[in-house]
Amino acid sequence: MTDYAIDERELDATWSPGRGIIGWLSETGHKEIGMRYIVTAMCFFALAGIEAALIRLQLSRPDNTILGPDAYNQIFTMHGTTMMFLFAVPVMEGMGIYLVPLMVGTRNVAFPRLNAFGYYMYLFGGIFIYTMFALGAGADAGWFAYVPLSGPMFAPGKRVDTWANMITFTEVSALVVAVEISVTAFKQRAPGMSLNRIPLFVWAMIVTSFMILFAMPAVMLDTGFLALDRLVATQFFNQSEGGDALLYQHLFWFFGHPEVYIIFIPALGFISAIITTFTGRKPFGYPVMVSSLVFTGFMAFGLWVHHMFATGLPQLGQSFFTAASMMITIPTGVQIFCWIASISLGRLVIRTPVLYVIGFFAVFIIGGLSGVMVASVPLDFQLHDTFFVVAHLHYVLIGGALFPLFGAFHYWFPKWTGRMYSERMGQWAFWLLLIGFNLTFFPMHILGLNGMPRRIYTYGPHMGWTTLNQVASGGAVFIVLSVVCMLANFAISRRRGALAGSNPWNADSLEWATSSPPPSYNFLHLPVVAGPNPIWDAEPDPPVVVGMATGHREVLITKTLDAEVDHREEIPGHSLGPFYLAIAATIALWGAIFFAWWFTIGLCLSGIVLIFWFWPAREQVEVDMLREREEATP
Amino acid sequence: MSTRVLDVSGLPTSAADSRALLWWGNIGMLAIEGAMFAMLFGTWLYLKTANLDWPPQSAQLPPLLWPSIGLGLLLISGVLMYAFADRGAMKDDVVAIRIGHVLCSLIAIAFLIIRWKNIAELGFKWSDHAYGSVVWTSIGMHTLHVLTATGEVLVLLAYESLRPVAKKQLLDIRCTAVYWYFVAVTWIPFYLLIYVAPYYVRKG
Repeated sequence: MTDYAIDERELDATWSPGRGIIGWLSETGHKEIGMRYIVTAMCFFALAGIEAALIRLQLSRPDNTILGPDAYNQIFTMHGTTMMFLFAVPVMEGMGIYLVPLMVGTRNVAFPRLNAFGYYMYLFGGIFIYTMFALGAGADAGWFAYVPLSGPMFAPGKRVDTWANMITFTEVSALVVAVEISVTAFKQRAPGMSLNRIPLFVWAMIVTSFMILFAMPAVMLDTGFLALDRLVATQFFNQSEGGDALLYQHLFWFFGHPEVYIIFIPALGFISAIITTFTGRKPFGYPVMVSSLVFTGFMAFGLWVHHMFATGLPQLGQSFFTAASMMITIPTGVQIFCWIASISLGRLVIRTPVLYVIGFFAVFIIGGLSGVMVASVPLDFQLHDTFFVVAHLHYVLIGGALFPLFGAFHYWFPKWTGRMYSERMGQWAFWLLLIGFNLTFFPMHILGLNGMPRRIYTYGPHMGWTTLNQVASGGAVFIVLSVVCMLANFAISRRRGALAGSNPWNADSLEWATSSPPPSYNFLHLPVVAGPNPIWDAEPDPPVVVGMATGHREVLITKTLDAEVDHREEIPGHSLGPFYLAIAATIALWGAIFFAWWFTIGLCLSGIVLIFWFWPAREQVEVDMLREREEATP
Repeated sequence: MSTRVLDVSGLPTSAADSRALLWWGNIGMLAIEGAMFAMLFGTWLYLKTANLDWPPQSAQLPPLLWPSIGLGLLLISGVLMYAFADRGAMKDDVVAIRIGHVLCSLIAIAFLIIRWKNIAELGFKWSDHAYGSVVWTSIGMHTLHVLTATGEVLVLLAYESLRPVAKKQLLDIRCTAVYWYFVAVTWIPFYLLIYVAPYYVRKG
């Protein structure tokens, strides 16, 4: 027995974060980086929320002059851009980075330094666009910045350049996270966690990661073309020189539609995790759930033209994309029915996370129905560019992503902090959000049907839109109160909440098999998995993995299909390299909007940083050689 | 502490093949890059459908000789990378690896000189028309990849000459080789598009 005892202190010293500012900047632990993503994303959420409040304030009465047209353009563009690129995608990535390694039973993500690099790229991208905004160069061509409006002819100055390059920052960040998460989920699972035992949330992150791999390059290329057109006078979108404005829309929506699912699919994973735990039974229809996720992932790439019905594309193409848009409701419907089956077969315990899931059902289904409406071409012609679309997209995104996300925050809060949140405040926040959300966004359906276009900074009193706009603006107050209530709950409970213990919900997945908050190394002994719900399926006295090194950062690599043990691998630890590389990339992208050669300078600097990053230290090589010799002579 | 255990202390601590993490990370990066190149390729095709005059009459048809020699060199370097460096890494043969890296970096430098000449001979600029934009961007993106791959091989060559090569570095060498194949093979469709297709698709 004692042979297998682990030196806990050595293990902790190996995996612990460094001290001081240098330690902070060189940190590569997945829990720390994941939490930084989540906190940073919530800061951007607050900024975008303030922008939304300003929009509602401006529209709260006719002929209002709080914001002029120019300020209004910047504010709604910054709101959309922030919510999509600096909040929704990064916060889902943060959740994945924090949870996937714990759920699959490993010690860190596959590429910890890349992970840190991704975070700094995201952070610097956000700082970049907000600094330029503060300096009066806020992006103002909408969150998708259509040409020719955003082209060199109609948008002089630095505003759109900033927007285009900010996209590159965030997409680089999303891409590196996608690679890490898929490799972690495929190669680092605990022994016994075969493909058909992966938790549904991890499946959701795998599908999301694959979608990111193929969707994000489209928008990087697209905004790259836009930046080139603006900065070095290429002609990609210039109709008079053989370019094509619709090319921009095609490339943008080839990314933009999957993007919606990149935000939505992790949320489906949250819901599955929450429903499984609070019904106390294994998820109904696991294989169907997984195939629905995969099917959604593929189908999401076949819908992009439904954002472009009003551009006059050929009839046949429109019919095809209408059919595809209707078809993608099938896998989502299948999942919703599976959850309902789980709920009716199990005993549902109502807690705040569950309320958010129920809120999701209500709100998202309304959004889905208005989605079926705008998926048909004749209706879309009528509703395009009106507030109906604004209502639809908020029902889908807030209903489909924000409700499950807030539910997930409550659900995993005890794991993150070791303490319980206040159930009463949690439920208050939920009801405030549900009421406030519907008050704000439901009237927008009617406003849109009454002909109110989106993105106008004001309207006349004779239009008959005043009352509904006032209801919407009043609803926004409830949303603000709800978010304040939720954050206050977290802030107070973090210090004063009841102690949670390792598994307060009696949940099934591996993150609950370790203490709350988890130690730096996640699991003292890596677990061995015996079923699709590891904690519930474990026999008494479950087996564990022994023989892992404790003196350096070692992870266990298992085979992709059946998770049989394969080999052990040392993964990199602390480094300032990722931080420096992100600085070099920032020099390239920020500088390029003023002078094109900065891009080249930044690339050269990146190359130099990369060489220093990868050049192994002499001691490290000696250790490696020694270890190899030991292995060769058993 | 459980009484039943799965002892992994006897497992190897590295793998220089498709079982390793880095291998999969590299494949992930190539998927991203491949998607990017595929969409760049699609951009050319899309712009062709949007233009009656493609390539524009003002653009001269490209000379074929040097671009073809360039492609040939790139593909030969891929074969040499496999024969010496990649197989050398499989057999832990540092001499073969060094030979492979020297040969490939020399060929890459020759290729880059030819590439420079190809660009100078295009006869139009990126700002002349959309055709120019997409051709320059394709060549530029690919050249950036060749430069990166060459830089990587030169750094590896410096490392192999100065320091002992552990198993971990064998994995680096194999991943760099895979990247090299990707960079070489990616040029085939773009070569056909930029140098061969204009002779067939231009009307009149």
